[in-house]
Amino acid sequence: MLLLQIATAGIATGSVYALIAIGIVLIYKCSGVVNFGQGGYAMLGAYAAYALARAGLSPPLAAAGAVLVLGVVGALTELLVLRRMLRAPVVAVMMVTLGLLILFRAVCLAVWGPDQIAFPQIFPQGAVQIAGIFITYNYVAAALLSLVLSLAFLAFYRFTPMGLMQRAAADNSRAALAVGIHVSNQVSVAWAVSSALAGLGGVLLATLNGLSLTLSNIGLVAFPVIVLGGLTSLMGSLVAGLLLGMLEAFTDGLLTPALESFLRAHTSIYSVGALQQVVPYMLVGGMLLVRPQGIFGQRGTERV
Amino acid sequence: MKRHSSRVPAILAALAFALPAAADVNVCVWGTITGPDAGVNGMSYGTVDYLNYLNQTQGGIAGQKIHVILLDGRYKLDEELKIYRRCVDQENAVVVKGWSTGSAKALREQVQQDAVPFISETFSSEVLDPAKYPYLFIQGATYEQQMLIGLRAAKAAGAKKVMLMHGDVEYGRAPVTVVRKSGAIEKMGLELVDTIEFRYDAQDLTAQLLRVKAKNPDVVYIQASTPQALVILRDAAKVGLPAKLFIGNMYNIHPSIPEQLGAAAEGFRAIQLYANYGDDVPAMKEIAAYKAKNQVEKEDLYFMKGWFGGKFIAAAIGNAIKKSGGKPPADIKAFRKAVRDEMVALKNLDSGGIAPPCSFANHQGPTQARMAEIKGGKYVAVGSWVDAQ
Amino acid sequence: MPARRRLALLAVVVLAAAGSFALGRFGAYLVHSVAIAAIAAMGLNLLTGFAGQISFASGALIGIGAYTAGNLGNAGWGLGAILAAGVAAAVASVVIGLPALRLRGLYYAIATLAAQFVLEYLFKIVEPLTKGISGMNIAPLVLLGRPVASDQAWAAISIAILALTWLGLARLMRTNVGRAFLVVRENELVAKGMGIDVVRVKLWAFLASGFVIGVSGALVGFTTRLASPEGFGLSLSIDQVAMLIVGGQGVWAGSLLGAGFVVLIPEAIQRLGEALHVANLLSAMREMSFGLLIVLFLLFEPRGLAALLRRLARGVSRIALPHPVPDSSPVVAARTPAPGGTREKAL
Repeated sequence: MLLLQIATAGIATGSVYALIAIGIVLIYKCSGVVNFGQGGYAMLGAYAAYALARAGLSPPLAAAGAVLVLGVVGALTELLVLRRMLRAPVVAVMMVTLGLLILFRAVCLAVWGPDQIAFPQIFPQGAVQIAGIFITYNYVAAALLSLVLSLAFLAFYRFTPMGLMQRAAADNSRAALAVGIHVSNQVSVAWAVSSALAGLGGVLLATLNGLSLTLSNIGLVAFPVIVLGGLTSLMGSLVAGLLLGMLEAFTDGLLTPALESFLRAHTSIYSVGALQQVVPYMLVGGMLLVRPQGIFGQRGTERV
Repeated sequence: MKRHSSRVPAILAALAFALPAAADVNVCVWGTITGPDAGVNGMSYGTVDYLNYLNQTQGGIAGQKIHVILLDGRYKLDEELKIYRRCVDQENAVVVKGWSTGSAKALREQVQQDAVPFISETFSSEVLDPAKYPYLFIQGATYEQQMLIGLRAAKAAGAKKVMLMHGDVEYGRAPVTVVRKSGAIEKMGLELVDTIEFRYDAQDLTAQLLRVKAKNPDVVYIQASTPQALVILRDAAKVGLPAKLFIGNMYNIHPSIPEQLGAAAEGFRAIQLYANYGDDVPAMKEIAAYKAKNQVEKEDLYFMKGWFGGKFIAAAIGNAIKKSGGKPPADIKAFRKAVRDEMVALKNLDSGGIAPPCSFANHQGPTQARMAEIKGGKYVAVGSWVDAQ
Repeated sequence: MPARRRLALLAVVVLAAAGSFALGRFGAYLVHSVAIAAIAAMGLNLLTGFAGQISFASGALIGIGAYTAGNLGNAGWGLGAILAAGVAAAVASVVIGLPALRLRGLYYAIATLAAQFVLEYLFKIVEPLTKGISGMNIAPLVLLGRPVASDQAWAAISIAILALTWLGLARLMRTNVGRAFLVVRENELVAKGMGIDVVRVKLWAFLASGFVIGVSGALVGFTTRLASPEGFGLSLSIDQVAMLIVGGQGVWAGSLLGAGFVVLIPEAIQRLGEALHVANLLSAMREMSFGLLIVLFLLFEPRGLAALLRRLARGVSRIALPHPVPDSSPVVAARTPAPGGTREKAL
């Protein structure tokens, strides 16, 4: 029973991780850029939805509007910043996305202030009882939406011509160019889609946790997901996102209590602290040593 | 003022060389205007606003205009240490009001060497030692005292099993460890069944609350801030634990808790050290008068704490000026020492009803607190002021 | 370096160190903040700019230095505490670097990110060594039987250590190992072909860079007087990388310029805001300018302030002098280094 409860809690958070991680993978696949700033786009999306709702749109419409706005922001990022950095070293590209994250946070701080803001209700209030846990409609909707969207993206990449072009651009940009695919446009599209996804993820998170600048932390929280799932695998992000959510929940619900009761009985250590926070990164460390391409990723050229 | 007319090169030069002393009585306050705990920055705004209120209505303190400067420590230790040096070295502040627990700890010895009255927003017992740190003051019951007041109230209501939850930050773990190791909970006749530490920016604590549910405590005390209390109460509702099981500290009195959680917050209690903004107390009239002409940034309990801090500072400076014959001592060192002595000598400080009358001989002022409970979407004081002693 | 230049440098250092005693406390604080940040940035520069490995773990390494120095300093060690801090961080740096023997570029960056988080967690948990979340109070360093507590003294000491670090690193780059760094950075296969032991060279880079960052951490500890986990988070690592980018990679002077910029710009904006009576408005601007600076430098001057200043100086001298002057700066790398290869390679 307890196991089932913990798993339920884990899936709910894990599905949001997956949504953020898929966005990061989308960009990486297409352009080789790892977006450390994905959390910033999520935060921007949530604030945009809040602003639109304040301006008089109904909350669901505001959410949809925010997703569109973020799509534009993503495309602009690619056009104005990333396109100029095609030949830049990996480090520089990583840092530029971090710089954007810092910039976005500062903009939100300047416009909306540092306080926690109550986010407009998008989903009806109420809860369903699953395995003895009352899961609010917010969570149900967030989890379902994440799962459906993730699967939709998988289908899009596999079955549509646009998806094929994207994959071609990602696979081998020179060959794609040779067969007449406009690669840089494909990259712009990937950025737009990825940012829109992040924006949606941010809106969903804000319905769950309220709105504040800390929302942007989700990018780094979800980061282990893409390493575990494999930087190049959308399916991997989905699976690893759910796994990571569950792993955190099980760490909190089972591992930490067991470890602490053992340590309290046998040593002078009383608490292991927020173990849940580092377990994913410890896993990342191990994974990088054993299988850097992740569970689902393809073996790349990165290993020496 | 002269230096305000200068341009960039002059400013850059000023970075390197001390500015000349200003003629006013200088008070230097720093808070968090941009940073993770900016939500409670009413504590610094309140102090600045009260001193400006005195400037506007009474021409300052004892006839002396107060030059009060507000800076942004960003809740970053290096920034706060830099600001402290500016306050003492460049602004010639007679009183410095700082912010974080970390900065109070890092500065506690330097404050003695500089012999400058230093008030911190922290409630940590680790900086409260009148013998060792005669120039360091806090304002109110320590976190440990707040915890014991809360648990005592729970005990009076028949609780037996206690659980503690706290964030993985200084202000979460340290007080909980002090209380746990002191054995005070057991002395009270309560049993501590478990302690849970969680990450401070936690977005989901369902699994932790399942752990709480499994231990079946009669009361859970939360040592964390508003965002964490929000997550805890929300996820408590998920696993079927009522909000009335939980007691929070003084940072958990925040309108966003009932606003965002609605019915799931009903019955949640928190420790209240200062009157709420808008309560029927004399100080509120002053605030209303100030607000009529100025902008008040934060209308909340923390602003009240700040206003209280302003009154504390003003009372001590006023007494010091009066004693030296109506003029502040010319020597800043003598002035600082005089103010510090007057702080300790304050008896029955009247804060206009924000806190019960108190003295600062203990370097912490009021040690009373009362419980506030969320009823009908609002915090309502339940019971009267209880002393921590 | 010719003897005359060495003498001139020595004179500059001595003057700067002596001059810091004439500063006020606030000014001295800024000086040692910049100097200490610059030392760590040089350590990172060695790793990133010269040996081609990016790291997001320098915040945690500074922490290891601070905790080591704090423990030993409190136990009565003098200067030895600073050296030991360097050694401890060097060891940690090598351990973090071990995956880099197999990983490169992006993956290594992620590995250092993981190391940063794990170490931050350990700082909170290993209470006997770190005093946990509450943080460790650090007593003033005792030098020649006297506790060093004043900011002016620390400014002088930091300047001296900065100069030593600079000289030491510049010297290291002239050894065979140092030259091998550059080859490894450019192309590991070529390095192997030249008979360079790539593993050994990389380990040297981690060791030396960790040592320098650890020394800087010791100074952070002694000047802050409190080592707490919150102070050694990812944001410190990001600040460090930002210094590298703004200042310029692969140039030692770039580290100093970058550190000065990152440490002083927020203060300059603050003072400007106060002078113009818009301090509150500019509060958010400080963060914004930090993010914006990183982005703008990467876009328009990826070689950083060092290159920008050199170009400016050349422009000025071209106007002032009839003949072009030869570039006399002790720059090792003339072109932009590409740590971890370009993105094309990463694909």
